[in-house]
Amino acid sequence: MLSIHAYKRQEPLQWSSGLILLGAVALSLGASALLLKLHGKPALGGISILFSGAFGSLWAIEDCLIKAIPIFLCSLGVAIAFRLQIWNIGAEGQFALGAIGATWAALSFPEMAWYGLLPLMAVAAFLLGGLWGLIPALLKLHMRANEIIVTLMMNYIAILLLDYLVYGRWKDPLSFGFPMTPEFSPAAIVGKIGTTNLNWGLVVCLVTALMIWVFFRYTRLGFEFQAAGENVRASRYAGLPYRRLVCLAMLLSGAFAGWAGFLEASATINRLQPSIMVGYGYTAIVVAWLARLNPLTIGLASFLLAALRVGVENLQLDLQVPAAFGGIMEGMILLTVLAGGFFMEYGLRLRRSP
Amino acid sequence: MNTDLLVPLLAAAIQSGTPILFATLGEILTEKSGVLNLGVEGIMIVGALAAFVCAKLTGNPLLAFALAGVAGMVIAAGHGVVCLWFLGNQVVSGLALTIFGLGLADYLGTPLIGQTAPGFGKLSIPGLGALPILGPIFFQQDLLVYLSVGVVPLLWAFLNKTRWGLNLRAVGEHPEAAAAAGIDVLRYRWAGVLGGGFLVGLGGAYLSLAYTHLWTSGLTAGRGWIAVALVIFAFWRPGRALLGAYLFGGVMAFQLRLQAIGTHVPSSLLLMLPYALTVIVLVFASWKSRQANAPAALGINIEPQD
Amino acid sequence: MNYRKLLMLCLALTAVCFLLIACPEKPEDMTPKVERLEKENAELKQTVEQLQKENDELKQQLKELAVKMEVKELQVGFVYVSPIGDAGWSYAHDKGRLFIDKMDGVTTSYVESVPEGPDSERVMLNMARKNYDLIFATSFGYMDPMLKVAKKFPQATFMHCSGFKKSENMGNYFGRMYQARYLSGIVAGAMTKNNTLGYVAAFPIPEVIRGINAFTLGAQSVNPDVQVRVVWTKTWYDPATEKEAAKSLLDVGADVIAQHQDSPGPQEAAQEKGVYSIGYNSDMSAFAPKAHLCAPVWNWGPFYAEIVEAVRNGTWESKAYWYGLENGIVDLSPMSAMVPADVQAKVMTEKEAIKEGTKKVFTGPVKDQAGQVKIAAGKTGSDGELLGMNWFVEGVIGTTQ
Repeated sequence: MLSIHAYKRQEPLQWSSGLILLGAVALSLGASALLLKLHGKPALGGISILFSGAFGSLWAIEDCLIKAIPIFLCSLGVAIAFRLQIWNIGAEGQFALGAIGATWAALSFPEMAWYGLLPLMAVAAFLLGGLWGLIPALLKLHMRANEIIVTLMMNYIAILLLDYLVYGRWKDPLSFGFPMTPEFSPAAIVGKIGTTNLNWGLVVCLVTALMIWVFFRYTRLGFEFQAAGENVRASRYAGLPYRRLVCLAMLLSGAFAGWAGFLEASATINRLQPSIMVGYGYTAIVVAWLARLNPLTIGLASFLLAALRVGVENLQLDLQVPAAFGGIMEGMILLTVLAGGFFMEYGLRLRRSP
Repeated sequence: MNTDLLVPLLAAAIQSGTPILFATLGEILTEKSGVLNLGVEGIMIVGALAAFVCAKLTGNPLLAFALAGVAGMVIAAGHGVVCLWFLGNQVVSGLALTIFGLGLADYLGTPLIGQTAPGFGKLSIPGLGALPILGPIFFQQDLLVYLSVGVVPLLWAFLNKTRWGLNLRAVGEHPEAAAAAGIDVLRYRWAGVLGGGFLVGLGGAYLSLAYTHLWTSGLTAGRGWIAVALVIFAFWRPGRALLGAYLFGGVMAFQLRLQAIGTHVPSSLLLMLPYALTVIVLVFASWKSRQANAPAALGINIEPQD
Repeated sequence: MNYRKLLMLCLALTAVCFLLIACPEKPEDMTPKVERLEKENAELKQTVEQLQKENDELKQQLKELAVKMEVKELQVGFVYVSPIGDAGWSYAHDKGRLFIDKMDGVTTSYVESVPEGPDSERVMLNMARKNYDLIFATSFGYMDPMLKVAKKFPQATFMHCSGFKKSENMGNYFGRMYQARYLSGIVAGAMTKNNTLGYVAAFPIPEVIRGINAFTLGAQSVNPDVQVRVVWTKTWYDPATEKEAAKSLLDVGADVIAQHQDSPGPQEAAQEKGVYSIGYNSDMSAFAPKAHLCAPVWNWGPFYAEIVEAVRNGTWESKAYWYGLENGIVDLSPMSAMVPADVQAKVMTEKEAIKEGTKKVFTGPVKDQAGQVKIAAGKTGSDGELLGMNWFVEGVIGTTQ
């Protein structure tokens, strides 16, 4: 009798690992095409509409980049915590607090010039987002409270806090009672790069990613992070400042998510309103793991995920498929890519069993 | 607050806690086997839809309830395939399953909007239901509430008193040691994933068969996430899960009643109550307890032996 | 070609006539000739008639073709904030979309579940880039993004629902749902025994507050002692929470439940308790036949058709389209038989009065919760005041935050 056995590859795959990923994506795209067919829509046409919506033109790529910015920053943040095996599910709340901090600065100092105001907003977002990350860290270290549940609950609290502010205290008197703050002064708005639709937030993202990459690869503290993340108990024996590392990780994690909130409020919405919360904090977790916590790969993964979502919109528009189709597709792609990862480390061989 | 308000409040606490309770118990079973499944929300909503469709077609709510469990198992099997066979990251797989399940339920459920299906009504237990105060709180609920309460000791007994349950926990704590002792680790993990999926699916069915009798997209509205949080809150113990679910449901019902009475606190702040309270109670509970009780191998995949 | 044939024929005919006239009178041998000529003449006439008929037909075809060339397919796009499976708001708009989709020369398309931030801007941009002629955005938060897109694409027409901003090619629209709410308030006020009405509401925004106030004024018009208790759920569609909110209102003595929510959850709660309820969005009587009294309902179809026609004819203008009962954009669903005939009659008279404009819902004196006069006696609330309403009238118990 023949049976299939998995064996661990001696050397990790090089270029063919890309093929495996492509194969996984192709598999789920095939399934999606089939679903389209069942729905009575052109199968291959649908997939090509998806691609042209995401990459088919310069402005499509611009759209994807713009959408990728907040996912990228949040994901960079959670990845730092994940490296230390701290399960920060709270990017969503930290994002909200960052937006709140930036808005506070923008509304408090409307007269300030941009070179003063924008850094102030960034600092406020950094501090508030970081604080929202630091609280679960402190509760974990001192009260041994599980960070998954604390960060998750703090997401809800943060969103309600944002609601409270825009429905009450910060409501624009000119908005006819609708929940939104006044529009930011031009000095509080992160500008666009040249004639493109892209804002300077993209540069902030790339620089941040590069810095984190350098930090983990070339600095002593970065090395300590890696070591502590790989084996918590051993790192304590080795005298690594575990507690301080946890605090630092959560502070940075929250701060980067906070920056995403700042950029979203300033560059794209130009004010604070409840609809700023669209779940980037949760998407970020998927992206971070998909990219195996590598800051540079995270950039690529957030771009691709943003592209998928933008492409699905095009599919909706042209073929009238429901939005839910996008969810089904995204879920399938993630699952097949995950499963495909198996073949990078393992091979299959047939074996005759006795 | 007098008993006129308190009694319905406590009854409501139990009712709104029940869907979360089913899901929490399911997730406890899964996590005890060492598998972290963050797809609770997605499994739950597919269960809710399956139950609604089945009740509508067959007119048999009990069958629909059971089918929701099966549907939950099917979706959870996706997590099993990806994580147990292909060793995919459990966090991402669970999140992907949530995205997939929400999409699938919305996609398939749109034609059912604006329809009703038969479900469960209140079932007063003879004798006990007539008791003052206790009767209306505990014994005038629907059948599924009694069932959910029944699952709690069953799950506890399974995990602590049966060989299978002890093996399952061993797999969640020390898979290598369990394997060395001759336990088929993968089979137990599969059992944890599928059994958990079944219970989570039942939680979804409670929403479309008993809590309400209708279908809209997003019916679960984040309750799956609350269940994930409550597993930790409960320190992976079924009894504490019951407490946690009722506490959460109760605070949610309480803040609505505070509004109905006519407080002048902004609703955003009132809505924070259940979440803030969960954190506060957790913090104090963890501070006092010696151990968190998390399965040691939670979220860690088992590599195939060559 | 045909003209030429025709001309030839005419010439021929004239020639024949001349011949006939010019023929000298020779009666004896002319008769067979005349007969023959007469016969020929008749045949020719027939041919002419036939050709004329053909010519007319061709002309008609040409005309039809020209009409078709001028009126190209009108591309209409809709942006929804929730899935159309929400059973409420987006569902009602989508019914309107399907209504105009049946019109000749109109194709429609929609994108659902679009968040109100930058995502909505991108969706509208893409519609405009694909040369959509008319775009409807159906949530308040789409206002600023739509304004930005409208400036970039002056050739397209933009319509924003429930906002207040407009530009040269962007108008806004809404329905005076508060009028129907007022009518439902009359029903509720007449049916309550405890003088306590419950109102399950989603978010404290002017649209919802306005509806609660109108409902309260309607109830007070038949029952001055009535009070309305409000619970905010902070969700548009979460049937379980909405039902729970309704139950909390029932527990404090409300015996008619109204709602500004998408799901029929509150209806179920009322039926289980054995009291009355008032639906919203569409007739919800199927969910609670023993409780459901009536429902203020949306009917977007005819309005969307009107805008489509206006854009096609070039008569569209940028303004605030705020239609009410008189246009049928909002209405009260048929009342249940549980509502006594005299109450039904009263509602119908009020409805006619509102339609004719002799009755305004917000007519002074209207006081707020603190007893302060907000609309003076003899005055009516202006559209601006109504649009930005953020206070409750006297008799409402609850907070607007």
